[in-house]
Amino acid sequence: MKHLQYNGINYGKLFDGFRNPKSGAVVLFSGEVRDNNKGKEVKHLEYEAYESMANKMIAEILEEAKSRFRLNQAACVHRLGRVEISGCAVVVITGAGHRKEAYDANRYIIDRVKNEVPIWKHEFFVDGTSEWGQNCDCVTDANEHEHKHHHETAK
Amino acid sequence: MGKMNIKIVCFAGLRKYFGSETTVLVDSGATYTKVIDELILLKPEAKEILTSSRIAVNEKFVSLNEKIKLENTLFLIPPSSGG
Repeated sequence: MKHLQYNGINYGKLFDGFRNPKSGAVVLFSGEVRDNNKGKEVKHLEYEAYESMANKMIAEILEEAKSRFRLNQAACVHRLGRVEISGCAVVVITGAGHRKEAYDANRYIIDRVKNEVPIWKHEFFVDGTSEWGQNCDCVTDANEHEHKHHHETAK
Repeated sequence: MGKMNIKIVCFAGLRKYFGSETTVLVDSGATYTKVIDELILLKPEAKEILTSSRIAVNEKFVSLNEKIKLENTLFLIPPSSGG
């Protein structure tokens, strides 16, 4: 699937293929696997998705971002399966005429992908335990746009 | 009132309680909320994750207070944490 893959994300290659004569700014965000979470040492992560729906939703989010922020290009690829520490779990690349649009759109896309798209993170800890991530860390100062938050829609 | 058998596909943390798939029997004309309620009755220990889960049909989220339409496979979506 275009926006989901089980093998490693080569973001250097994605970035190289992203040049556009109309874009004065290209922003790349890589979400990478940390070796700790909530005070516990993380061994690795595994991602699972409702794949057909997740792929479609990411495509829709990219299309919406392109028109909202006047992007020339936008890409997002999320990993599935096992990702080791420092591995790339998700990449978002945005290209626009100027940096403000490229940065804002990039943030908009990653926030919506993390909050709305049915992709789940299974954390495996060094102590042998594991846990499905459910915590939402989307409430940040830069997160002013209105995304449909799952806790609201679940009521 | 007739009953209908609803197939439910589960993901991530929900599989611990229900496996990859389960079924519930609800009255015809029931809302999606009723499906969640039935699952809570089956596994009270899953109440927390069930009450924060959404339901998708044909790859779109539905509103839980809508009546279940003819489709008989629902996808139960626990809170996500991609990235």
